[in-house]
Amino acid sequence: MIEKIHSRQRDGTAPRPGPRPGGRSQRRGRKAAATSAALLASSAALVLAACGGPAASSSGSSSSSGVADITWQTMWSGNTLTLLSQMVNAFNSTHPDIHVTESNIPSATGDAKLLSEIAAGDPPDVFTEWNPVLGEYAADGTIQSMAPYLTGKYAGLEKWEYPIALQGGQYKGALYAIPMSMNSWALYYNKSIMKAAGISSPPATLAQLYADQAKEWKISGNKLDQIGFYPIYNQGFEYFGSFFGAVNCFGSSGQYDFAGCKGAQSEASFLAQYDKYPYADVAALQTAYGAVAGGDDDAFVAGKEGFNMDGPWEGAQNIPVTNPSMVGNFGVEAFPGIEPGPSTFGQGNYNIIPKGAAHPSAAFTFIAWLAGYDNTSFTSQIDPKGGWMPPSQAIVSAPAYQAWLKANPWLNVFVNQMSSPYSVTPTLTKTESEFETAEATATEDIGEKTKTPQQALAYIDSQSNSGAGG
Amino acid sequence: MRLHHWRQTRLGLLFVSPWIIGFLAFFLYPFFATFYYSFTRFTGIGNPVFTGLANYSELIHDATFRTALFNTFYYTIIEVPLSTVAALGLALLLNMKVRGQAIYRTLFYIPSIVPVVASSLIFVWIFQPSFGLVNSLLSDLHVEGPTWFFSITWSKPTFILLGLWGLGQPMVIYLAALQGVPKEMYEVAALEGAGPLQRLRKVTVPMISPVILFNVILSLVLSIQYFTQAQVIESPPGSPGSSTMFYVTYYYQQAFTDLHLGYASAMAFMLFILVLIVTVLLLRSSSRWVYYENDQR
Repeated sequence: MIEKIHSRQRDGTAPRPGPRPGGRSQRRGRKAAATSAALLASSAALVLAACGGPAASSSGSSSSSGVADITWQTMWSGNTLTLLSQMVNAFNSTHPDIHVTESNIPSATGDAKLLSEIAAGDPPDVFTEWNPVLGEYAADGTIQSMAPYLTGKYAGLEKWEYPIALQGGQYKGALYAIPMSMNSWALYYNKSIMKAAGISSPPATLAQLYADQAKEWKISGNKLDQIGFYPIYNQGFEYFGSFFGAVNCFGSSGQYDFAGCKGAQSEASFLAQYDKYPYADVAALQTAYGAVAGGDDDAFVAGKEGFNMDGPWEGAQNIPVTNPSMVGNFGVEAFPGIEPGPSTFGQGNYNIIPKGAAHPSAAFTFIAWLAGYDNTSFTSQIDPKGGWMPPSQAIVSAPAYQAWLKANPWLNVFVNQMSSPYSVTPTLTKTESEFETAEATATEDIGEKTKTPQQALAYIDSQSNSGAGG
Repeated sequence: MRLHHWRQTRLGLLFVSPWIIGFLAFFLYPFFATFYYSFTRFTGIGNPVFTGLANYSELIHDATFRTALFNTFYYTIIEVPLSTVAALGLALLLNMKVRGQAIYRTLFYIPSIVPVVASSLIFVWIFQPSFGLVNSLLSDLHVEGPTWFFSITWSKPTFILLGLWGLGQPMVIYLAALQGVPKEMYEVAALEGAGPLQRLRKVTVPMISPVILFNVILSLVLSIQYFTQAQVIESPPGSPGSSTMFYVTYYYQQAFTDLHLGYASAMAFMLFILVLIVTVLLLRSSSRWVYYENDQR
């Protein structure tokens, strides 16, 4: 808007003729018109500001000194926020030509806000996204391909990443996202609960896990005091898929085919074993703990669950910060699935460059830095604080990370899974968010016994394949 | 004279122009845009593809949509009368001349200023089946409480109970209306031999009936748009067993989780029609039960 006005003036457009001098009523009319114009202008400015129009935008600006001001939008909450500030400060202090401003919005509205910002022409330069929607975003052109930047010193970036980290950011072979940290899942166990139940060592098979955890439940009517293991609530198909060969179940036509997938059938049977335990009571207990500490608390952290599938952040951050009395009272082992080796599924916190970002090149520089490429030393120090799995073996090999592993040997379980040949990345599809919604509902339906395992699988297929993007 | 009148009108219009611009930009334009998008396939980015009535046709055959409609209807049909009676009852009690009246009024109003998300999380603990306040009290009475928010049977009734937490707003409006009823009318009614219940039925309720109508319409619209509490408490949203899949919960899922903005626009427009029909029916029925002092009928 400002640009337009300036150019018109430079073009020498003749000013409109003003009102001719006249009597009192005309003067009063001019005064009223001036007042009205001021009101109109101020209200229009209000609307523009509310719309976040280009004139009001703070992103995408460059200062006169040539510094690219970029915005980084994330959806984190809880203890992680302090780490983000540290990362931004470190980047800004080492990159005088780029200045990053971090903003945080709740995950429930994060994607909606991103889409609104893109539609308004004022997106952030970098957005941290969980990767389920990346396929849809890439297919629709919501995010930019990073291929143009994979040259020069970044030519080796793709090979630098763990294969599962790389695949999680690829749509139809092109790179659209780079993770700053990865998820890796393993089985936590509570030592004192195990001891009280007379269990001497963590389970090595699925059957043993089921038998052991059965000894740990403390439930009387609707009064649930302690959970043994409950893989259904808030987890389910996606989390356990890699242990059963059930991550990428597609038919010959490329559509989701969980109902016809042997791995998925095994996984559904495994989940259905646990439907004898009360879904409602577990949900009530987990929701109550999840309502405090910004979501960093749960029944395992509170010492009320014998076994729990979770990521490294549970032991590295949630437990020490939320319930320090649990430090030293937990152990971790690879989940005893039916695959012959340790595995996890490749998802993580991926950074993307939205369509219309003002400084995509500077954004890419920041994204590569966040991943730890060319920044191994700093990342190897910050990742342990967040309990994050690095996207590359190079960071794991760095002295700071090795020191952390030495101090916390249980973390090796998570690290080893990252390069395991049995670890799998879900293929990004255009309807992956529909799949995510469907698998969550189907898992819950198994827990509530409202669907048989086979019906649940068929439901996942029907919902995932019918997502037409209407 | 006409010129003067026109100038005054123009000035008046210009003074209200901030509101007019806001109305055009944030209501009228989105309204027509939603109507247009409801005939398209649109993910929020790129160009919408015109699909005619496909979204509306799909809605008719969508089982989850029907569930969401039923859940919303269930919630509304119980919540609106219950909250109306409870708020009016509370206002009647707080209108009585008792010691500490101001303190009681403040205490009963305070819950309505607690943010919805915060009060929802508090209620997760209050209704926690194992160690929550409600089940502990029931346990003292040798009654085993249900699992409340997490039971397919009890989840909706629990949200209705949670809805009563925010009664402060209508209660204050009723209280103001009650104080506007002329005392002489009660005196005359008492002289005629009317007891407390008769005075309530024959004097109080008719005299504040326009306010009741206002509160009922407001409560109805808010109930049909019920969303935040269910979204905050239930995971996955709509659980357990789709029992808390309210209309707006499903609308939100379609629009912002699955990015079906065209389909969600059709849902939004259907919601508009629904609210319109219910409000019109209510307003039409009001001629039978709402009394206006200057009414000449």
